[in-house]
Amino acid sequence: MTVTEAPRAVAPATADPTPAARPSGVAAVVGSGNPRTIGQLFIGTSLIFLLVSGVVGVLVGLERIDTSSADVFGDDLGRAYTLHTITGLFLVVLPLLLGLATAIVPLQVGAATTAFPRVSAAAYWTYLISGALMVASFAFDGGPFGSDAEGVDLFVVSLAAVLVAHTVAAISVVTTVITLRAPGLTLRRTPLFAWSSLVAGVVWVLTLPVLAAMLVLAYVDLRHGGQLVGRSDRLYDHIAWVFWQPTVYAFAVPALGIVGDIVPTFGRRRLFKHNAALLLIGLFGALAFGAWAQLGVTNDGGVDTPWLFGGPWVTTGVVAALPVLGLVGLLATTLRKGAPRLGAPLLLGLAGAVLVLAGVAAGVATVIKPLDLDGTTWMTGQANLVLLGAIAAGFAGVAFWSPKLAGKLLPEPLLGLSALLLLGGTLIYAVPDLVTGVMGQLRLVAGGAEGVDDIDTVEALNLVSLIGGVIVVLGILAFLLAMAKPRGAGQVADDPWEGHTLEWATASPPAVGNFGTLPEIASEAPVYDARHASSTASTEAAP
Amino acid sequence: MSAATAIGTEAATATGTEIEVLSDAPPAEPSRPRVLLVGTALATGAAAMLVLTLIGLYLRLRSDVVAGGDAWLPEETNLQLTPVTMGLVTLLMSADTVLWAAWALRRNDRGHALFAMGVTLLLGVAFILGAVYNLQQIGIGVGDSTPALLIFTIAGLHIAMVGVGLLFLLVMGFRALGGQLTGRAAEGVSAASLYWFVTIAVYAVIWYGIYVTK
Repeated sequence: MTVTEAPRAVAPATADPTPAARPSGVAAVVGSGNPRTIGQLFIGTSLIFLLVSGVVGVLVGLERIDTSSADVFGDDLGRAYTLHTITGLFLVVLPLLLGLATAIVPLQVGAATTAFPRVSAAAYWTYLISGALMVASFAFDGGPFGSDAEGVDLFVVSLAAVLVAHTVAAISVVTTVITLRAPGLTLRRTPLFAWSSLVAGVVWVLTLPVLAAMLVLAYVDLRHGGQLVGRSDRLYDHIAWVFWQPTVYAFAVPALGIVGDIVPTFGRRRLFKHNAALLLIGLFGALAFGAWAQLGVTNDGGVDTPWLFGGPWVTTGVVAALPVLGLVGLLATTLRKGAPRLGAPLLLGLAGAVLVLAGVAAGVATVIKPLDLDGTTWMTGQANLVLLGAIAAGFAGVAFWSPKLAGKLLPEPLLGLSALLLLGGTLIYAVPDLVTGVMGQLRLVAGGAEGVDDIDTVEALNLVSLIGGVIVVLGILAFLLAMAKPRGAGQVADDPWEGHTLEWATASPPAVGNFGTLPEIASEAPVYDARHASSTASTEAAP
Repeated sequence: MSAATAIGTEAATATGTEIEVLSDAPPAEPSRPRVLLVGTALATGAAAMLVLTLIGLYLRLRSDVVAGGDAWLPEETNLQLTPVTMGLVTLLMSADTVLWAAWALRRNDRGHALFAMGVTLLLGVAFILGAVYNLQQIGIGVGDSTPALLIFTIAGLHIAMVGVGLLFLLVMGFRALGGQLTGRAAEGVSAASLYWFVTIAVYAVIWYGIYVTK
């Protein structure tokens, strides 16, 4: 009898890496279900939106230098600010991380593709079109604080469509990790980025619909009198909770996974206590589920404080710092016990980890009631630390996995410069906001510097923050320049970093299907094990 | 030899050896990763969150108003329990017919499966028609008050949820007609059933939270 199916000890029959005839040109991009192509599209588009968000953010910063007038945007300052923040989160951070996950997670778990490649592709195109419409709605006097009813409608509908796109993209990634892992690759052996994508994806799948529900309600309300949430000047209050802790942490979960995969590779050592790292990322994800926080902003567009904002909010704000601190400790131990080599992905990753840690630490102060930081620029600074940390980690991921994404390496000097500019710039950008928050400066859409006693100091700090914003934009430009000038095209080794996880066991870039057949995976670092086993065998065989 | 090459060689060797050793053994059980079921479970969770968010908001706002000593619903509101209870019963019956369809498919009983699927679709359409009629009889307009706004939005979202469920069942029904979903490969119907059950559970929450407790 002929055995026609692979036995359980090896991978199920995945498609062989066959260089079949492929469409070329636009058809290859538009019709592609290849997760690598879709991931590249997500990442590339998010970087374009990042420039939009960054430039608008700097212009908004200009307005804060002189708080008595608004010279650039005039009455549209609120709309410009919300364009900067909403674009930054939903059109930059989320798609950057989702794109990376769509391209890399199947490789990390030994799958041929994502669980739903066409769904991932549909998610990208929905994101692209809806994101463009959302940005355009601001040009039509729409968006929060907009006065054109149709423009506001367009904003609400397009943002809801973006949320749907991100939700289905996340479902595809999560399902890939749950169902398509190679034999032997148990959840406990899953690489940290794949694991963090699973954790974050589940949190996003449960959180983004909550915001979508509020948008549906706003859309209906806008058309029937605007008595609850549907007035454009109230709209942002029902969106802003995603920028506050604990929800904002959900967008930093994959950042921890990215850094967690980069550090052992550059430390040339197994990750110290892999299981503990999985647990800490899972705990951070669970604490980041903050959809319940939207219940605090339902009445009259203000922030209400039901019992939820007593115990649970304070508890999550304090406890959420612990897993991040613990994970950073594990990573530091890994580097200390290993033989680390310096590399640009490591620098970017560490910059991201430091910023996220600083943001989570700032969140602890947010929940201390006597400090009265709720609604001040302290929260703005905290969100900027967390989200720019996630972006820096996303950049680290792009640099680290660039051989798999594009078959190229990015120039290290530019990446290193980008890391330094992002780290330094973000700190200079966010820390003055924290300080002015303590001094009583409110969030820009909540009144800004109205009622602040020492207005001169606040304006001076706002200037410092603006300088930080400019440095961040320069850091982003350095990264974009690095992407535009890759090195080693066509001659990159399959495993240039001597990586630990499964994606480094295939070609750079991978052929369609990623892998042929795989052996039973026996650890969380199979390539590291194989490399050490072969080097040990070579040593023993030597005369 | 690079680690990548080592793993590739190991894979090839293992495959060849195993097949040679097992040449007289029966084929290995095909891998069934239940991709569609897991994906549907996640999508169902997202859809449920969409409606449950608004129900939570409704209950919280009502609690605030009632605690302040005011009436939550406007006087002219006509929230009748009987029609919505009939709606719930209709959906519960459809849960039974969905189970029947899945059971029949597992036994390759296409006749029963298609009949059960058809009855399910009929019950679903009946529910939607009833729900729309109930909204017309409620006595208040969408923009009349906060409760009205929420009731109409919640009911509308749930009707959309039921519509998606019907479409899902319809697609699976057509695939069954085409012979793609018989026997053990009935995962698609299981996935559609899962979505349908959650849709019913969400309606039970609406029924109790809005219509029973008023």
